[in-house]
Amino acid sequence: MKQELTNLNGLGIDEKELFSFITHSDVDSEKITAPRYSYWHSVFRVFFKKKINIIVLSVLAVIIMFAFIYPSLIEYDRYANITDASAKHLLPAAAMEKFGPSIHWILGAGASGEPTFDTIWVGSQISISLALICALINMSIGVVLGAVWGFSKKFDVFMMEVYNIVANVPYVLLISVLVLILSASFWTMVFALTVTGWIGTAYFIRTQVIIIRDREYNLASKCLGTSTFRIAIRNILPFMTSVIVTQAATEIPSYISYEVFLAYIGIGLSEMSLGRLIYEAQAAMVTNGWQFEFWSPVVVVSIITVVLYVVGQNLGDASDPRTHM
Amino acid sequence: MTKYLLKRLLRGLFSIVIVVTIVMAMIYTALDRQLIFAQDPNYSKMGNNDKISYRYRKWQEYGYLDYVPYADYINRLAREGEIDDATRDEAVAIGRKPENDSELVAKYVKQFTEYYESQGFTVQRENALVAGRGKKLAKGGQQILFAYRDKPLISRLVTYFTGMLTVDNIHAVPEEYDIGERRLTFTTHDPAYGENTFSPAIMGNGTKHKYLLYFNDQFPFIHQNLVTLNLGKSYSVNSGIDVVQTLTETQGSYVTSTVHFPTGIVEQSADDLHSATFIPGSLETSKVVQDRFTDDYTNVTTHKSGMSRIGYSFVIGILASFMAYLLGVPLGVIMARNKDGLLDKLGTIYIVFIIAVPSLAYIFVFKAIGGSLGLPTTFDVNSSGKLMYLLPIISLALPSVANLMKWLRRYMIDQMNSDYVKFARSGGMSENEIFFKHIFKNAAIPIIHGIPGTVLFAMTGAIITERVYVVPGAGDLLTRAIGMYDNGVIVGMTLFYALLSVVSIILGDILMSIIDPRISFTKESR
Repeated sequence: MKQELTNLNGLGIDEKELFSFITHSDVDSEKITAPRYSYWHSVFRVFFKKKINIIVLSVLAVIIMFAFIYPSLIEYDRYANITDASAKHLLPAAAMEKFGPSIHWILGAGASGEPTFDTIWVGSQISISLALICALINMSIGVVLGAVWGFSKKFDVFMMEVYNIVANVPYVLLISVLVLILSASFWTMVFALTVTGWIGTAYFIRTQVIIIRDREYNLASKCLGTSTFRIAIRNILPFMTSVIVTQAATEIPSYISYEVFLAYIGIGLSEMSLGRLIYEAQAAMVTNGWQFEFWSPVVVVSIITVVLYVVGQNLGDASDPRTHM
Repeated sequence: MTKYLLKRLLRGLFSIVIVVTIVMAMIYTALDRQLIFAQDPNYSKMGNNDKISYRYRKWQEYGYLDYVPYADYINRLAREGEIDDATRDEAVAIGRKPENDSELVAKYVKQFTEYYESQGFTVQRENALVAGRGKKLAKGGQQILFAYRDKPLISRLVTYFTGMLTVDNIHAVPEEYDIGERRLTFTTHDPAYGENTFSPAIMGNGTKHKYLLYFNDQFPFIHQNLVTLNLGKSYSVNSGIDVVQTLTETQGSYVTSTVHFPTGIVEQSADDLHSATFIPGSLETSKVVQDRFTDDYTNVTTHKSGMSRIGYSFVIGILASFMAYLLGVPLGVIMARNKDGLLDKLGTIYIVFIIAVPSLAYIFVFKAIGGSLGLPTTFDVNSSGKLMYLLPIISLALPSVANLMKWLRRYMIDQMNSDYVKFARSGGMSENEIFFKHIFKNAAIPIIHGIPGTVLFAMTGAIITERVYVVPGAGDLLTRAIGMYDNGVIVGMTLFYALLSVVSIILGDILMSIIDPRISFTKESR
């Protein structure tokens, strides 16, 4: 069959738009083209795709602002109204009536006539700092030692015994003995919560490392002569980012909860943390009309922990590369 | 299998010993001993030398050190017949200052010092303190002489572990007490029931317990006192009583029944004659005792209406775990079936609530809700009502429900992508069959591993729940002991917890290997 060739000139297309010859280049032919991919960029793209995350993150921003900036803006004196008997145990409406409408009194007044709203944020600063510092220390030690624990078989035998022993020393006993020896200050509490707290994280990371350690791609890497250190940093750590973020997300609120628990059983901080605030306010629980004093810090703690947990969990989900498709 | 488990058990026991060592080192060495006097009203009232001897006496009672006053030493010499009573009376009176000692006193003081210093004790002498310029002694200024020695950790450990199990025998009462013929007797008609009803018992004379083996109407009907478990004597929480007894003795109001006392008196009493133990010289103490007992086995416990600490904790804990499995397992399955559906989302909200919110907060929420529904919010030992158990059980169960839901959902969803599930589906099995015959069976294995732990740890109670609902359970025993520096109870409870955790992990492994034939602990079948 005879092929009909189209007359190019007849179509009226500019010569530049038509195909043209390109000479072969050795350098260009080696380049591999792939879509641009940045890990953290994708993490945040996935994270912000969900509307709920934007809301929760803004609530978190408000909480952080109130906990860390608000206390330095106000002049908080817990015992400013201690001599004024009519200022104690007030509901919000009564407190506003007495002191005039202002943000300080929207949660009423406490047992010493102090503004509950301010007390809560001063306490939040201590509790959130405690949780963040403890989580940071435990996660760093836990991840590093957990990785070594997962890789070294000799270390594993030794650490399993240590783990069995440490896990059996009652945590409450350890903390109270340390608090009694060292005084109930902020840094004592940090020490008491982290001195054995890392071992749980390390054990968790160890199990994760063991699961991934012998996968084919790591075996291949090992056959090609990659050092164990490089396998740990380049092959396994990226795989674990989401696990680590998720773990941190569970740990931060759990430290706040644990601080509340310790304060409730009477071995808490001497500073006015959220836990101590709840501990002191529980006396008001038995008096009718004063329950509000107990519930307001409890509700605020719950909001803080839930927000921290949800942000962390969703960030953990987003940092899993499998969700980046 | 047996060999492997035995090895595991031995390793577990080894770690328990280490845990007890660490805890003992912590509380006896690291803690400041002065702390025990912080809330002691007697201590602050005392002055001068009295304060010093009181301090050492208390430290001995709390188990920190061995303390021997000079007078005890002289009395011991007299009892052993080395010195006669006249010498004793003279030798015991030490002078206000060492220079004032008579020759005889100086001789025995020297002997005392040499004897105890050779055993590693420190001998301390405090001179009398005189008030003002007169010759009158200042308050608490009596001269004192004593020797003390810190108990070394190793000997403390050895004493603790060797004393843990005691077997009662006819030489349990010290030989110096004359109690007649030491023997065991077997009787078919227990005198505690009036010798008319048939009830075999083994009784002892010279043993610590009067009854070594007996029957009664309480589960498990046959009881023994032959072997007793001692976990540590309490000092301040439950004075002089062993941790095991503190945990297991009944509480509440007295329950009386017809009791036939050894003298023949029959009356309504709450005394439990089967618990009688020997206390030297106790018969002489009062007329009431003499009317009822014929020997020094007078120390009896009483029948009470309530349960023991462990009993309450266990009933609440076991019912709560039962409820948790009953609710948590189906809910977890439903969540996995409707992944990303409405029920899954609602369940996730609940799980987030329980994990993130401090336990204290939601227990109070449950209490407030329960209270407004008219349920009793405080526990009353003397009440026979069953409703008061409801709120503690719910408060304990709901968090475990969330935990079970979370893990079961996670495990099931992980299994859903496995090849065997795809294979089953391609073979034409219905989704229900796949879920219950394949996925559920595999996903339940890690859950099953936790069941023995859940059951055993129900005994330890829950600190916050029991406090909030005023349940007289075992949960706050450790925290209370810490608050009162009761070292015996602290060590005992630590051992109890460690033992439970070792046993529950081993039991969990056994249960898992029974349920899942793929899991085996023997090398041959691997």
